[in-house]
Amino acid sequence: MPAGWRRLLGTLTLAVLLEQLPWSGWMLAIRPDFVLVGVLFWVLHQPARIGFGTAFFLGLLADFQDGAVFGQHAIAYVISVYLVMFLRLRLLQFDPVRQAAQLFPILLATQLAVLLVGWLAVNPPSGLAMLLPVFSSTALWYLIALFMRLWHGKGLQDRA
Amino acid sequence: MATPGQLMFARGLGPTTRLLIWLLAGVSCVVVDSRYHTLDGLRSGFSLLLRPVREVMLAPGDVASELGGFFTRHRLLQKERDALLAERTRLLVGVNEAKELGRENAELRALMQLQARPGQQTVHAALLYKGHDWFAQRITVDQGASSGVRSGLPVIDASGLVGQVSRVYPQSSEVIQVSSPEQLTPVFVERTRQRGLVAGIGQGRLELRYMPTHLDIRPGDRLLTSGIDRVYPAGIPVGQVSRVSRSQASPYLRVECLPLAGIDRSRAVLVLIAEPQVTQP
Repeated sequence: MPAGWRRLLGTLTLAVLLEQLPWSGWMLAIRPDFVLVGVLFWVLHQPARIGFGTAFFLGLLADFQDGAVFGQHAIAYVISVYLVMFLRLRLLQFDPVRQAAQLFPILLATQLAVLLVGWLAVNPPSGLAMLLPVFSSTALWYLIALFMRLWHGKGLQDRA
Repeated sequence: MATPGQLMFARGLGPTTRLLIWLLAGVSCVVVDSRYHTLDGLRSGFSLLLRPVREVMLAPGDVASELGGFFTRHRLLQKERDALLAERTRLLVGVNEAKELGRENAELRALMQLQARPGQQTVHAALLYKGHDWFAQRITVDQGASSGVRSGLPVIDASGLVGQVSRVYPQSSEVIQVSSPEQLTPVFVERTRQRGLVAGIGQGRLELRYMPTHLDIRPGDRLLTSGIDRVYPAGIPVGQVSRVSRSQASPYLRVECLPLAGIDRSRAVLVLIAEPQVTQP
C-alpha cells in the first residue's frame, strides 16, 4: 500500500476512533466533527482518492452514532464535499488562518443542512447549541493546517 | 497539478451531477428510514461493527479514573466505607419491611381475588456511548437482544426513570431519555395523587402538561410513574417540579420539572424486564 493511502486511511480511522470516545457534558457539546474535518482535508489535498462515496458512507456512520435518521449527516457531508471541491484551488492558496476562516462558512452550511434535514424528518431542534461544533471544527482545521505547514514547509499543494 | 476539472472529465460525470445523484441517495435514505423503518439491518451492522471499538475506547477514561482513584487518600476511603455500611444497615431494615409488606399485599390481593402484579426481572447495563442530542436525546448501553432486552422496556437508575429502550441490537441497545423532546411519560403527583402526563422538552428538562389552573401543585412536588400505560411499572420517581407559572393565554398551568435520575451522570443503569402479562377475559 503506498504511503499516501496509508496516511489517508490512518487519519480517517483515527477520526472515527476519536468520535467513539465516551464524550459527555460540555465536552460533547463542543466536540469537533473529527470525521468531517478529516474527509474535507483529504478532499482538499487528494481529490482523486476520496470523494462523495466515502463522505456518504462516513455520514451514514455519523447518523448511526447520533441515533439520527439515516441520511441526515450523509446529505450534509456530500454537500460540504461539493463545496470544498468547488473552492479547492482557491482554498489551497491561503495560509492556515485564512484557510480556516474560509472553511467556517462551509462547516456552517454542513451543520445547517444537518439541522434542516433533522427538522424536516424528526423533530424541531432543541436550541442552537448544535452550531457550537462548527467553531471547534474550524479551530481543529486551523491546527491541522498549521501542523501541515510546519511539517511540510510550504504545504501540500505541490504534491496533490 | 491535477485540477478537479480534469478528474471529473476522466470519470465522465461533472461534480454537480454527482452531487445530485448522492443527494438523491441521501434523501431516499431519509425517506426509507423515517417512513418505512427498513434500514434497521444496516443499524445492527454498524452496531456490531462499532461495539468492540467503543469498548476499547472506554479504556482511556477508565485508566484515567483508575489513576485518579489510586491516589485517593486512605482516610477518605475509610470514611466512605463507614458511611456505606451505615446506609446498608438502614436499607436492610427497609428491605425487610418491604418484604413483609409484599407478603401482606399478596395475601390481601389473593383474598380480594385481584390479579397479581407482574414480576420484575432486571438487567444491569452500562453506558457505552452518548451521541449528540439535537433532535432526540439517546444513550447507547451495552446490553442488547442477547440478554433479553426488548424495544419499549423502561430503563432506570438508582434515583429514578432514565428512559425507554428505543432500538435493540444484538449486543447493545439505544435508550431514548425521558427528557428527550416529545417523549411522554404518564405520572402522578406524589403529594396529591393527581395524574398527569410528563413530556420531555430537551436539554435535560421536563414539562407536566395539561394541568388546569385551579390544581394544587407546588415546586418541590415529586412525580412518580402512574403505571396506567402498562409500559412503566407504577411508582418509579420521574421528576421534581421546579417552577409553576400561570399564563393568561392558556387554560393550563405551565409546570416545569427536572428529572430525578442522573440522566447525564449515571454510568450504570437497570433495564426492567416485565414478565409477559396474562390477560384474563
